[in-house]
Amino acid sequence: MARFLIKRLLSVSLTLFAVSVVSFLMFFALPKDPVTGMCPKNCNAERLERVRQELGLNDPKVEQYAAYMKGIFVGRDLGSAQGGKCEAPCLGYSYVNSEAVTDTLGRVLPVTLSIVIPAAILWLLLGVGLGMLSALRRGTLVDRLAIGFSLTGASMQLYFVGALLLLIFTYQLKIVPVPHYTSILDNPFDWASGLVLAWIALAFLFSAIYARLARAQMLETLSEDFVRTARAKGLAKRTVYGRHALRAAITPLVTIAGLDVGAALGGTVITETTFGIQGLGRTAVYAVRGGDLPMIMATVLIAAVFVVIANLVVDLLYAAIDPRVRLS
Amino acid sequence: MRMKVAAAAALVLVVSAACSKTTEDGEEVDQTRTATGVIATDPKDSLGPAAEVPGATKGGTFTVIRENKISHLDPQRVYSFAGLMNAPLYARSLTAFKDDGKGKLTLVGDLAETPGTNVNKDCKVWEFKVKDGVKFEDGSPITSKEIAYGIARSFDPDLTGGPTYVQEWLADTADYDTKWNFKANKASLPPGLTTPDAKTIKFEFAKPRCDLPFALSLPSSAPLPPAKDTGVNLDNQPFSSGPYKITKHTPGVELVMERNEHWDAKTDPVRHQYPDKFVWSFGPDPDAGANRVIADTGGDAAALAFNGVPSALVSKVEGDAALKGRTITSPTPSAWRLTINTQRVTDLSIRQALNYAIDRQGLITVYGGTTVASPLTTLMPPATIGYKEYDAYPAGATGNPEKAKEVLAGKAPELVLGIGDDSTELGTQLKTNLEKAGFKITVRTIPADAKLDETKKKDNPWDIWLDQWAADWPSGAAILPVLFDGRSIKAEGNSNTSYFNNDAINTEFDRVLAMDPSAQASEWSKIDEKIMKEQAPAVPLFVEVAYYVHGSKAGGVFISSVFGYPAFVNAYVKQ
Repeated sequence: MARFLIKRLLSVSLTLFAVSVVSFLMFFALPKDPVTGMCPKNCNAERLERVRQELGLNDPKVEQYAAYMKGIFVGRDLGSAQGGKCEAPCLGYSYVNSEAVTDTLGRVLPVTLSIVIPAAILWLLLGVGLGMLSALRRGTLVDRLAIGFSLTGASMQLYFVGALLLLIFTYQLKIVPVPHYTSILDNPFDWASGLVLAWIALAFLFSAIYARLARAQMLETLSEDFVRTARAKGLAKRTVYGRHALRAAITPLVTIAGLDVGAALGGTVITETTFGIQGLGRTAVYAVRGGDLPMIMATVLIAAVFVVIANLVVDLLYAAIDPRVRLS
Repeated sequence: MRMKVAAAAALVLVVSAACSKTTEDGEEVDQTRTATGVIATDPKDSLGPAAEVPGATKGGTFTVIRENKISHLDPQRVYSFAGLMNAPLYARSLTAFKDDGKGKLTLVGDLAETPGTNVNKDCKVWEFKVKDGVKFEDGSPITSKEIAYGIARSFDPDLTGGPTYVQEWLADTADYDTKWNFKANKASLPPGLTTPDAKTIKFEFAKPRCDLPFALSLPSSAPLPPAKDTGVNLDNQPFSSGPYKITKHTPGVELVMERNEHWDAKTDPVRHQYPDKFVWSFGPDPDAGANRVIADTGGDAAALAFNGVPSALVSKVEGDAALKGRTITSPTPSAWRLTINTQRVTDLSIRQALNYAIDRQGLITVYGGTTVASPLTTLMPPATIGYKEYDAYPAGATGNPEKAKEVLAGKAPELVLGIGDDSTELGTQLKTNLEKAGFKITVRTIPADAKLDETKKKDNPWDIWLDQWAADWPSGAAILPVLFDGRSIKAEGNSNTSYFNNDAINTEFDRVLAMDPSAQASEWSKIDEKIMKEQAPAVPLFVEVAYYVHGSKAGGVFISSVFGYPAFVNAYVKQ
């Protein structure tokens, strides 16, 4: 297991290194001169050059990358135009937000985590539960209702469902407050009530897909020989379904869930936009719109970190669920 | 000067000619109101307190909902419309506009006792006396030293984003930061700026700068004690000299301002301190922001949606009787014109024919229907001080193709129309419209985000295109010379996008610019008409009209006659 873990961690490190290089090079590849945002009005070529020099943008790219990475691990001095000393992990200075990128990320990450994690728990419980129930009650009214639910959810868009929820529960019935973010540590009730609509919208859409997948996986597993054998051995239904069939059926779902949660943590742009909540996704969108290159790089990096970590967790879960993975 | 890009069209803009809307107080707002303004000569005009707002009460929290954060809060860096409307709450300037919300503007002294003394009557030396009793949020007095320091720090190239008029005028060059280095001379002042004593601040320029009192109404002349200067970090936590101080700021999420107990109403002729708090709530998109205000629940009952009424909600808002008293409509100073590249279109008769041919009504319809904008036949918008309405080429609301053909006298000019790729439907309308009058129009699209820069290049390949201009203060000086003085034409970054250069007009500009600002107003209107009648370097099209909705408990908000956005100096929460 330790060897497996070490191999995976090495692979994660290499992936993150590659992503850091690509996101760093993106800074130069984008059709936006990074100095224009730092240059005052009536900026002429001479002044642009002066700003470029001050920012160290004329240094060799390898040196600039080394300085960027140094900032992440030990911090660095960004100069007076960029707020001076930037403590580790320093991801640069956002001249759109007029603060260190890490300050912005420190503020928006908890928001995105607060949206995605409870929503993921909801959609997994609801989706997998509904899929299993549907498979076990195949052909019944419950099955048909579950299929109808998943079909509806899978064919909807978040911006529509979100707007509908807002219209009904916030603007018409006025029973749910306007979506907002409060730290769970400050006021757990306010935290939940401010995000509940986002959770419901995400859970409804995602659970629909998981319900269909879970149903299909479960039906396939239930027709396997080992399930028939378990039944023939006289095992209780609960044991056959819960311990044998569910465990086998859930493996592909874990992969998809890992990718979905990882991607969602990288930025739930549409959710955050629909509900007007400022998380990582919206921050990334604003960064792109405002040409805030240090912020774009940081959000790309963070999103990649989430996906890579989610994949690592999936691998570990695989190892826990399937003994063959541990052996290999 | 700010040339607003098409994003400004996110505001829903309502019309028009003789149309008017009813406000919460049942008062009629003329959407084509014109600005009448003066520079206060009586020091009493600059004294506080500001006249009480009828029905205003103290207390409560006034909320402003906006999608994006305010780009800068540091007064020396404030230049966005949201920033300019918010800054007066926490930053005082040397001068300020007293605005009745109906077009009557008076430039008064804010921190200064008067809007300035033109010492030698040549606009080269200006003197301002600081009022007694003006204080920062910590109770320390505001003197000429702190005001001068505020102006000096605007020379710091690190502090990007703000206006650069005063710096450029003092340094007598656009590269002002090469003439005086703020960081190396923090204990001194830029050339031409002196503080003979704690009450006096003096500006000396190499050339006449008659617009100085107007330029000093921008927040960039706000004071700051050197000890409170945190450089770029001041942007998130400015030090207040106004009626409110910033008590909490989470960029992109929330800005909370509470009463500054050291602000003295008796020193302030333009601001009030009615609400206990002002809160800017950032995040909701324009639809969500307007919906929150329309729902009118909780704190949103005392809120205003700063992004305006989105087009999707216009019919709902207009059709809802309950919202009648909760909307504000007003023309903005943002004027659209069809720019004619006079380097390429050298034949005056062609330029005049374009003016006869233009179908303003058709263009407004395509721009957003009959509730989008108000037609304009002058170069300066009606919100300009001294504005005089005229129509140099009377052709009716839909244009007169026959008259245009007559002026063209058999010619069939071939013109290239440059149009942003986000507004191709306007290009199609213009092509259809102008071809009826005998023009042959070739439409060339330009990437929307590059259009502004590309059309500002002197050797661009287009004959006509759409332009938009909103001046920083409602004076012809901030419009006509900027847009039509040919001596300022350079290779790139031109504001004179007609590339119009006429010696007689340039001489006129010089003559009027050298006049005392209070005497300039009517002269600019004359030049406006002269340019159009004799040279026609553009086709005036329309001004945008703003449309806002607020909660049932929000009161006192009016549309600034200077910027065309909601002003909060009179805002209150109905109890």
